[in-house]
Amino acid sequence: MTTYIIRRILWLIPVILVVGFVTFVLMRNTPGGPWDLDAERRQVDESTRKSLESFYGLDKPLWRQFTAYMIGDFNNKGDFVCGLPCGNFGPSYRQRGVPVQAILFRPPEDKPWYYSRFGYSLRLGILALGIAIFVGIPIGTIAALKQNTWIDYLSLFVATAGISVPNFVIAIFLIIIFASGLKWVSVVPRSWDTLDVWVLPAIVLGFGTLAFTARLMRTSMLDVLRMDYIRTARAKGLSERVVVVVHMIKNALIPVITILGPALAGLVTGSFIIETMFAFPGMGRAYVQAISQRDYSMIMGTTIIYAILVALANLSVDFIYVLVDPRIRLEE
Amino acid sequence: MRKLFVVLGLLVVASMVLAACGASAATPQTIVQTVIVEGTPQVQIVEVTPEPAAEAKPAVLRVNVGTYPDVIDPQKSSYVIEIATLKQIYQGLTELNAKLETVPGAAESWKFNDDATQLVFTLKKGLKYSDGSVLNAKRFEFAFLRNIDPTTGGEYASITDEILNAPEWRAADTSAADYSREEWVKKVGVKASHADGTDCVDYEDVACDTLTLTFSKPAPYFATIAGLWVGYPAKEENIEEGGDLWWNSSKYQIGNGAFILKTVEPFVRQYFVPNPNFAGPGIPTYDLEYSYITDSAVAFEAYKNNEFDVIASVAEDLDAINADPDLTAQHIQYAGSCTIVIKFGIGGEYNGQPSPFQDKKVREAFAYAFDAESWVVDVDGSLSLPTWTWIPPGYPGYDGDYTPYKFDPEKAKAALAASSYGGPEGINALGLKLTFGDTPRNRTRSEWLVANYKKNLGVDIALDPVDTTTFTALTKDPKTFPVLARQGWCADYPDPQNWLSVYWKSDTTFAQRMGYKNEEFDRLVAEADVTVDPAKRMELYKQAQRILLDDAPSAFGYNTINHYLVKPWVKGIQTTPQDAVFPGDMVPWTITIDTSMIP
Amino acid sequence: MTQPTESLNPNIPNFGEALKTKTPNQEAIDRLVRNKASVAGLVIILFFMFVAIFARALSPHDPLEITSGQKFLPPAWVKETAGGKASDPNYLLGTDTLGRDVLSRVIFGARVSMVVGFVPTFIIVLIGTVIGMVAGYVGGQWDNLLMRLTDVIYAFPDLLFFIIIMVSLRDSWLGQFMNGLFLLFVSLAIVNWVGIARLVRGQVLSLKQKEFIEAARAIGVKTPRIMTHHLLPNTLGVIIVYVAFRIPGLIITEAILGYLGLGLRPPADSNAMFITSWGGLLLEGQSAINAQPWILLAPAICIALVVLAFTFLGDGLRDALDPRMRGTQ
Repeated sequence: MTTYIIRRILWLIPVILVVGFVTFVLMRNTPGGPWDLDAERRQVDESTRKSLESFYGLDKPLWRQFTAYMIGDFNNKGDFVCGLPCGNFGPSYRQRGVPVQAILFRPPEDKPWYYSRFGYSLRLGILALGIAIFVGIPIGTIAALKQNTWIDYLSLFVATAGISVPNFVIAIFLIIIFASGLKWVSVVPRSWDTLDVWVLPAIVLGFGTLAFTARLMRTSMLDVLRMDYIRTARAKGLSERVVVVVHMIKNALIPVITILGPALAGLVTGSFIIETMFAFPGMGRAYVQAISQRDYSMIMGTTIIYAILVALANLSVDFIYVLVDPRIRLEE
Repeated sequence: MRKLFVVLGLLVVASMVLAACGASAATPQTIVQTVIVEGTPQVQIVEVTPEPAAEAKPAVLRVNVGTYPDVIDPQKSSYVIEIATLKQIYQGLTELNAKLETVPGAAESWKFNDDATQLVFTLKKGLKYSDGSVLNAKRFEFAFLRNIDPTTGGEYASITDEILNAPEWRAADTSAADYSREEWVKKVGVKASHADGTDCVDYEDVACDTLTLTFSKPAPYFATIAGLWVGYPAKEENIEEGGDLWWNSSKYQIGNGAFILKTVEPFVRQYFVPNPNFAGPGIPTYDLEYSYITDSAVAFEAYKNNEFDVIASVAEDLDAINADPDLTAQHIQYAGSCTIVIKFGIGGEYNGQPSPFQDKKVREAFAYAFDAESWVVDVDGSLSLPTWTWIPPGYPGYDGDYTPYKFDPEKAKAALAASSYGGPEGINALGLKLTFGDTPRNRTRSEWLVANYKKNLGVDIALDPVDTTTFTALTKDPKTFPVLARQGWCADYPDPQNWLSVYWKSDTTFAQRMGYKNEEFDRLVAEADVTVDPAKRMELYKQAQRILLDDAPSAFGYNTINHYLVKPWVKGIQTTPQDAVFPGDMVPWTITIDTSMIP
Repeated sequence: MTQPTESLNPNIPNFGEALKTKTPNQEAIDRLVRNKASVAGLVIILFFMFVAIFARALSPHDPLEITSGQKFLPPAWVKETAGGKASDPNYLLGTDTLGRDVLSRVIFGARVSMVVGFVPTFIIVLIGTVIGMVAGYVGGQWDNLLMRLTDVIYAFPDLLFFIIIMVSLRDSWLGQFMNGLFLLFVSLAIVNWVGIARLVRGQVLSLKQKEFIEAARAIGVKTPRIMTHHLLPNTLGVIIVYVAFRIPGLIITEAILGYLGLGLRPPADSNAMFITSWGGLLLEGQSAINAQPWILLAPAICIALVVLAFTFLGDGLRDALDPRMRGTQ
């Protein structure tokens, strides 16, 4: 068991290398560079650009820049600077030398770690996932128990609608209704310290996952409903409620639990539109901006972080399967 | 079933939380009262909700700024959003008043020598930073040196290139073995000293009140440049101690400006309080808060909800603004600081042929055919002003009388027929493209432009959208400069030198990229740059601008205007064309907020 | 195999009818037809396909025609907006920021969205099925290699990969071809074939053990023939259901990419085939939401309808093709 996990984790290394390589190649192939700002802004002039490139090592050959990022290299003064293995995701060019890991992981002064940009995205993802689970699972369960009645159709419809309309469209309408119209929450959060301002973005972010979870739970429950051991339990004379709660849901939850990891990873990585709409200080916005700004280190760093998250989430699927269903053994 | 109750319970809790955080309810109190009922005193227990005490509302000006700055460092910032923060917390040697005249800032006076190759500033007495520490000329020396230092790498490093040996230092190779910063510091023409010329001791030296700038050629306009943000006196020890992120922290950004940066929540907001040590004309009477909502529709909702006091209006909201008489009254518009034109790529080759714009008649044709007034109405919703000259109104050097190529489709067609291409067919054979950075705004603009030229000139132009960063990269190289592109210029400082010499003189990068060269213009502008007599300077610049306009290097154009929605309780605003994020932000101490009017 | 009723026992009414058996396919179609929601979905899809194909004939105005002074006209059922703009019955859904007819643009948007839904799907199915079958049936080293490849591709967050590809290649020849649609297809295909490959592989793995495959092998049927004649028909059901759920995902991805400004590039020529997409309209409409909400609402409603339709159809197909099959959809 442990060897399996270790082997899967070791597998992360070639994954990171490939992801890094593909990103690097694609980005360097794109016309324009980190010093090409928006057309309305003043640009750096030639001699400044030259000294900036020399300072950041951007005038070295490409293969050297790649290995410098992934492993490490000697800088202009002759000291060895360690790259990715030391957790050094490179300097941001747009923010003039601020290391990427500081931008993403360092919280503002005197605040705990979850006030960093990564921390914000993580918290939003967890909240969205929570909403998805605690609303989606009951909906799916009820729909399955009352299959083919209007309750079933209604919940299916709502769930399907939730994944049909792109979330940013939902976001704008919700803002107009709940913030301007009903005035339940403020449009612009003064600070993100209270819980109420997280509700709207979390709902919008999690709605798709909620719909998916509901449908999955329904399907899974329908499967379980027809299984033999349920009939056995009923035959034993256990009361209906016990049968439902103890046996069915527990078994039906298995496929649902396995998708939690990837779902969370998906929420954390897919939040950038929500972040833009709500001016949410998370990681997703940084990523999209970095691509547009050709901030190479930021792009590489964020992509690799995302890839690690997704890979770990996928690993969690197998892992949880084993924990939850003792009949399954990992074949390796 | 149990799960259902849990879910319902959670929903109930959630809605309670929402409701509780929405309204601010006062808590009811139980009061025991003695009341006479039908002659008998009885004790009654009454629930009374006391009136919430009218809280003394602090006067805060809440502004929505837009995207969060990449870097807020005086010698590394270049974007109007970044400068918006800097100019509130620092004060330069000189300032601009509401009429855009250069007036004393931290310096009480300055003096040029006879041929304007040297400029001596004398600082005000008793200058202090907001934390009470001494501010002397050595600090300003550090600021200018840092701007020139090649390791700083700011976009505006070149704006102080008139200083002796500044361009040479910037071009020096810092990794060379013999590079020595101290050597260069001695050579560059920036020197802080006592009034009698002796060296300053350190940053605490109160007698250090003189800053001498020496130039490589006469620069009579430099007093204005010295007041720009590149000369803001950031503290050297704070920069070193704070490291890479020193500027994102209120602990290290200590300045001498009208406000103190109190809290920084990156990407969310910045909060400023007035600086009692400010040496300027007045100390603000309110706190300032910048928020960073990028979505204009959301910002507009927030403004209507009284969560902002000032936002920039956008064309999409005009319908809603005009429908509401209150909003209409709150919408202020006044001249801005930019001119945008349709640039002709003159120097390059397109599809293997020389640019059609080398033929003056073609340039005239395209200039005549641009319907600036319709543009302003259709594309910008009247949130800009048409112009047929280069320097905008409100700026020194504005020449509104001379407008050679006003919209005239007949003249346009005639000019095209008289050109070497003989008419639209000849031009269409070349396959012209309009290149732009692909944003929804730009798409609208470009689609309109293409239709405009089709209608008024019969010319077919293809749309060439590229990624915005790619667009910038294309415009930086004369070989890839687009044959048609919309470009503009915003004033760095109010002097015709910034409009004419910096942009159109043939040895500047801007002119070189598009391939524009006019020797008469060059000559006039070069002479005006070094002329000390102000009247003579202005006359020379005026002549130069007229030559430029005659040449039709672009189709002029439109001026941006400042347009904001301002709540009625914000009073005393003095607007200037150089305002960046809220009206009156060049002179914020004149603004007062009447808190009694806030609902 | 239907029997003529007359030759059977005439005393039992409808005996012949009762004996009529149907092929599995006919039974499947029956089950599908009985599912009202699926039928409704199919009708909606066919409607939008019709609109997409005949866009030029159906749209009342030229979608690129800019009319001066008519910006942000309200839809025809609103007599006048609060700001004093009167509607024009010629423009059923009103106009956008340049005075172009919103309805015509939405109709043309259907074309791009439908194409983006179907064409990459075809590519994905082709690639994914082949790879999945090879991996599942041949097994061994091939399987290992292909599965490791899919692992790596899985690790890439989809949307972020699209964004990088679109931004980096859109100014090259690849991105210019077909106004940027070709690049969109390619990038969608690259990421999405993985899912179906895994699905087919799983299906083939379970089929591999069945007796009829062993029998075919014993007879001496060659591998390619086994794949096409024995494996493929039995995986078709799974593939069809997957496709029905994948298409709306592609349409939404296009909408998101268009919203980010990375989708179709706007042509200047009215005769171009692909004028605008629903995603691009969402982007335009979002900033104009206070002025003319229908620029945003119309494409949003259309996207929602199409996706709903595909989802219901997919549900119906899955129930029809294999009632015992409970996918994880």
